[in-house]
Amino acid sequence: MTAPLTLSHYMIVAGLLFLIGVFGALTRRNIIGILMSIELMFNAANINLVAFDRFLHPEGVTGQALALFVMTVAAAEIVVGLALLLAIYRGTDTVYAEDFNLLKG
Amino acid sequence: MIEHAYLIPLIPFAASLIMMFGAKEDPHSPVAWIGIGAMTICLGLSVSILAAAAGGQIPLPYEHNWHWFSFAASIGGKSFLYDMPIGVLIDGPAAVLLVVVTLVSLMVQIYSVAYMHEDTRYKRYFAFVSFFTASMLGLVVSSNILVGFMSWELMGLSSYLLIGFWFEKDGPTEAQKKAFMTTKLGDSGLYLALLFIFAKVGSFQITQIHQFINNGYMTGTVATVIAIGILFGAMGKSAQFPLFIWLPDAMEGPTPGSALIHAATMVAAGIFVVARLYFIFLAAPDAMLVAAWIGCITAFMAAAMALVSYDIKRVLAFSTVSQLGFMMCALGVGGYTSGLFHLTTHAFFKALLFLGAGSVIHSVHTNDMRLMGGLSKKMPITFVTMGAAILAIAGIPGTSGYYSKDMILANIYYANQPIFWIMLGTALMTAFYMSRLFILTFWGDDRDHEKHHHAHESPFLITGPLVLLAFLSLVSGYMLNRDDLVYRLLAKPTISAQAPAGHAPVHAEAASADAHAAPALSAAAAEHAEGGAHHEGHLPHWLHLALPFLVLGSIGLAFTLYKGPRYALADGLKSTFAPAFHLLDRRWFLDDAFDLLVVFCDKVAAVAFWIDANVVDRVFVDGWGLLTRVFAEISNLIDALFVDRTVDGFGGLSLDLGVGLRGLVKEGQVQEYLMYVAIAFSLAATLILTR
Repeated sequence: MTAPLTLSHYMIVAGLLFLIGVFGALTRRNIIGILMSIELMFNAANINLVAFDRFLHPEGVTGQALALFVMTVAAAEIVVGLALLLAIYRGTDTVYAEDFNLLKG
Repeated sequence: MIEHAYLIPLIPFAASLIMMFGAKEDPHSPVAWIGIGAMTICLGLSVSILAAAAGGQIPLPYEHNWHWFSFAASIGGKSFLYDMPIGVLIDGPAAVLLVVVTLVSLMVQIYSVAYMHEDTRYKRYFAFVSFFTASMLGLVVSSNILVGFMSWELMGLSSYLLIGFWFEKDGPTEAQKKAFMTTKLGDSGLYLALLFIFAKVGSFQITQIHQFINNGYMTGTVATVIAIGILFGAMGKSAQFPLFIWLPDAMEGPTPGSALIHAATMVAAGIFVVARLYFIFLAAPDAMLVAAWIGCITAFMAAAMALVSYDIKRVLAFSTVSQLGFMMCALGVGGYTSGLFHLTTHAFFKALLFLGAGSVIHSVHTNDMRLMGGLSKKMPITFVTMGAAILAIAGIPGTSGYYSKDMILANIYYANQPIFWIMLGTALMTAFYMSRLFILTFWGDDRDHEKHHHAHESPFLITGPLVLLAFLSLVSGYMLNRDDLVYRLLAKPTISAQAPAGHAPVHAEAASADAHAAPALSAAAAEHAEGGAHHEGHLPHWLHLALPFLVLGSIGLAFTLYKGPRYALADGLKSTFAPAFHLLDRRWFLDDAFDLLVVFCDKVAAVAFWIDANVVDRVFVDGWGLLTRVFAEISNLIDALFVDRTVDGFGGLSLDLGVGLRGLVKEGQVQEYLMYVAIAFSLAATLILTR
């Protein structure tokens, strides 16, 4: 007999996913890896959105629709991010984050 | 006509403004006739009111009020709305006094056309006289004692202006200041009384104050305090002891102006205000007694001073003071009717006396009676008219003064025997000094041939008013006394502790009913009603018969002493009783007493000033300042040493911390920044969640 899935389960999963994302963003040297980790954090937030919507307002689909919008915006953002990365690579011949310190004060 | 009574003060007021500001100064200007015309209209109005009132066509008192202003005030948490109307209240005394004031003022103005004809401030004189009369009329008609008080003060101003009319000379300037300040001293009492009235009654309306007392809301003590205050005002204005010192000096003004002050306006105002608020006195028997004694002392002292003075106007001034004492005394013993009756008759013969004296002075150019004598041949009309006035003021049977003075003496006789005997003596002194004036001025042979030679009868504008006033001096007493008219017109007000009784009952019978119902408050009313007013108006038979003979004896004595050009007999008396003469000559040393008082007050003020400058200023003000400064310095030191340092310390700490922490970060590493953000965020989240 299995216990039914509660909101906490979803939140634990989302929290783990978010921590993995944070860990990746802090440790990856490659900017592409960092971008992917950020995507993971996005998705953790998305899971929260959908889960809250399901458990707190089960009658509607507002949260799920919002999650779809977030994914769309994230996709658009990743496009911009990859475009910037490409520009940086062309200028500096590197994709490692520690080599970018142009904005250093 | 009575509904137009409000015009009576307004017309002369307008006239005075027109004369003052609308005309050029010119000794021969016809401007005086504006004032005379205005006063004629007022006289017509007043006479029609009085005739209708005497004939019973209009019921008195007549009151009509207009909205003036109202204001809200909160007292003790409750808010009140006070209404202050402005209006006219014509009762019997007011109706009589309106005629007296307008008539005397008219006579004075006509007379002045001739008397002042060469003066450089001709129009100003007439403007002042009109203004003076308007103020008095305002006081007489006003239903609101506040407006009455304003008129009262305007009258003080007018008297100041008229007494000091010839301000180039020192005498008038000093006299006007003395008059103004002395009367202001009295006015302060009246002012306090008015404040007290308003605090208690909440209204300045005379009828409402009367109603308030009728309802028994005013305690005897309060009534006494208020009555004494009013009495004090009347003592200043009506020249009662000890404030009569200004009146003899007021003789410095133009003689017709003196006639106005002494007969119709200024001095009548005090008596009139006491009579107007007589119901307060009725509720305060103590104040009545004070008034009676003040009147008695005044009458006696002034008559005594008149015995020895050689200045014709001074004698008349003292005589005015003395007669005012009679009125005040009459009011004090409950003789309301007789007091006002005497005010009326006195106005006629005293105006006549002053105008006659003016005529004499105009002719011989001196005030000193020792330089006159034998003027009867040169000035027959003045002689005869003055004679009529002398008869009236002495109280020869049939003249106006006889009726009113007799009534006063009778009132006093039944109320207070000690005062009666003093007043009887004073009445005889009156007859004596007036005869003395008459004899010295007109009788026998001339003393100063030069002056006598130039003496001449005055023109018609001067003698005309004299003749009319002489006629009134002789017959007004009889006319008013006939059919008890005076008792109807000048009915004594009554007070009762009963619920609203409306206006004062006119007849003594009604008053006695009130008195029996309410014994507590209306002792005076009961006294009045007891024998009926008519009984009190007559002396016991033997006195009534003896009085004329006493007066004649007194006149005879004056003739014996002062006949002949040298009056050696009187001079002999004077040297025998030199100290007494000196006392009277120096006016009972009252002026010196006031001088001493002023000097004493000045000394006290000097001491007080020294204390203020050296003790209060030095110790309290400066000391307090010093103490405050010391505390401020200490406070400043604490601020600089501790507070500011603490603030600076925290600032420096934050700065150092920031700089130190920045050294830890390897600059430009985006992931390192992100790590700090993550650490800070998780710390913050932990803090918030575990709280």
